Amino acid sequence: MFVYFTRRLLYLIPMLLGISFLIYLGLELTPGDILSYLLPPEAIADLKPEELIAMREALGLNDPFIVRYLYWLGGILQGDFGYSLASGVPISKLVLERIPATLELSIAALLFSTLFGVILGSISALKRGSLMDNSLTVFGMIGVSIPEFIFGLIALVVFALQLEWLPVGKRLMPGYDSYWDHMPHLVMPAMVLGLIMTAGVMRYTRSSMLDSLNKEFIRTARSKGVPEWRVNFIHGLRVALIPVVVLIGFRLPMLIGGTVIIEQVFQWPGIGDLFVNAVRGQNYPLVMMISFLSVTAVLFASFLIDLLTALLDPRIKLE
Amino acid sequence: MSADQKVLSVKDLKTYIYVNNRCNKALDGVSFDVYRGKTLCVVGESGCGKSITASSITQLLPKLSRIESGEIVYHSERGNIRIDQLERNGPEMRALRGAEISMIFQDPMTALNPVYRIGSQISEGLQYHSKNTLAQLKQTSIDLLRQMGIPLAEQRVDDYPHQFSGGMRQRAMIAMAMSCKPKILIADEPTTALDVTIQAQIFELIDELKQRHNTAVILITHDMGVVAELADHVAVMYMGNIVEQGTVDDVLRHPAHPYTEALLKSIPILGKGKQQQITPIQGSTPDPYQRPKGCQFEPRCPYATERCQTFPDSQSISATHDALCWHSEKVLSHA
Repeated sequence: MFVYFTRRLLYLIPMLLGISFLIYLGLELTPGDILSYLLPPEAIADLKPEELIAMREALGLNDPFIVRYLYWLGGILQGDFGYSLASGVPISKLVLERIPATLELSIAALLFSTLFGVILGSISALKRGSLMDNSLTVFGMIGVSIPEFIFGLIALVVFALQLEWLPVGKRLMPGYDSYWDHMPHLVMPAMVLGLIMTAGVMRYTRSSMLDSLNKEFIRTARSKGVPEWRVNFIHGLRVALIPVVVLIGFRLPMLIGGTVIIEQVFQWPGIGDLFVNAVRGQNYPLVMMISFLSVTAVLFASFLIDLLTALLDPRIKLE
Repeated sequence: MSADQKVLSVKDLKTYIYVNNRCNKALDGVSFDVYRGKTLCVVGESGCGKSITASSITQLLPKLSRIESGEIVYHSERGNIRIDQLERNGPEMRALRGAEISMIFQDPMTALNPVYRIGSQISEGLQYHSKNTLAQLKQTSIDLLRQMGIPLAEQRVDDYPHQFSGGMRQRAMIAMAMSCKPKILIADEPTTALDVTIQAQIFELIDELKQRHNTAVILITHDMGVVAELADHVAVMYMGNIVEQGTVDDVLRHPAHPYTEALLKSIPILGKGKQQQITPIQGSTPDPYQRPKGCQFEPRCPYATERCQTFPDSQSISATHDALCWHSEKVLSHA
């Protein structure tokens, strides 16, 4: 198993290289060159063609594609992620600034949805057909089918504008800087995101649990005379959790990549917000870097899912 | 057969299953007794109510089914317990399950939880029915596995079910069922999912345990060879009734019900060669929702007469032998 996972981890390297190449190729295919983003149009108009060529040469823009790619890749490997075209600030600094906000929102939503999704899903499965189950099913369908920005906007109107219980958006008010001061700001985006994600986990847990409760080993457990909670949770839920862990695992990249829509609705200064602004401002180096980080997160999450399912399900043989 | 040896008596048991607003009278008045250290074989075709009988005794019935009337009395050392009156998954019922009455199921692959080690599954019941430390529980699991004839039990106890072969899994199931030394062991077609070569070993094991611990065994099967080999008593079921019951000799040598007679004629006998006459039972099992009015076997029965339109009374052939047929005398003399 150790050998398998070491190998699995090593496979990530060629995959990441391939993806970095594709991302760089994507940039190459976009129209225009870096100079047209770096310099205002008036400045370009004032420059003589020889001067432009000289600048291109100086920036290495005339080198063959593969040379420029390797140069970019070499930079990443040395921790040089490049600079934002909009502000000239190093990208690593920009991303690191946004990471705490993204982590805060994602962790809150992930914990909330995992905990409540599994609990409510199990209750739903155990009390199948009851009023509780039916209301949870309705909630689940709403959560799965209504887009998150609509939820976000409704929550904003109700809790921020009408009831005025919570601030409208942003992470911190001017003048406040202690950690607890921004908790009121976190509540609404975390709840909206968390509730929507809960719906998915809940539906999934319910069907997985119903499936496992119908298995014969449940009857075996009952035939031993153990208490019902043990039959339902130690036997039923334990087996039902394996696919649920996969679902939750696929949400882990959110920790790095952020959530574009919710961060926009609540003006939450996370990576998702940074990404949208970078796309809008045609800030290609930044777009490339965030894409690359998100993809890396996805690859690591899938590695982690493999590891977790192997730990949870002894039937999985890894050679 | 003195009464003090009786461990379980079932009287006029009716268990109905409700599906799609229809009622299937899965057990329609079943009565039998189980004796200490004896094997009762319950035979009959699929859907006749064998498994429902077994699960009624432990109240492990499907959700939409219910014991409507009748008695299931467990004669314990502390006095008689009316199982049918206990709450389905309540504490009294749980105290009996596994400890006094335990079960072995058909398919040991699906009956074992795939994510737990064999050892912990074997001792799980014991953990609740007695006070033991974890180390003691593990030692008990090892001892049980060894008794079931599993080599290297110390190592195999930490295996998962998928690492066991089919026969070993069923041995582990039996170890699980025997862990609390129950008074009654119910085996619901324990070898259907196994290789023929393994079947005999499993039956031998059950028989050996029965003799060693003086356990009463209820063996559900459709293999007449097994019945002849292992049974002390036989109950033949058809459409939710026990149509004939008695000792092995009574039922197999002197069948008094046309269904038993037909069943015995439909089985090929090894060594008789290819020329032997095998007579299949005419017709097919009726729809449980549109049952015949009187005797359930009447539409398929060669002995059927006008009288069979009314449900037959139990006819006593001898002290140990009963048949549910108006014509049992005729069937007896025919055989």
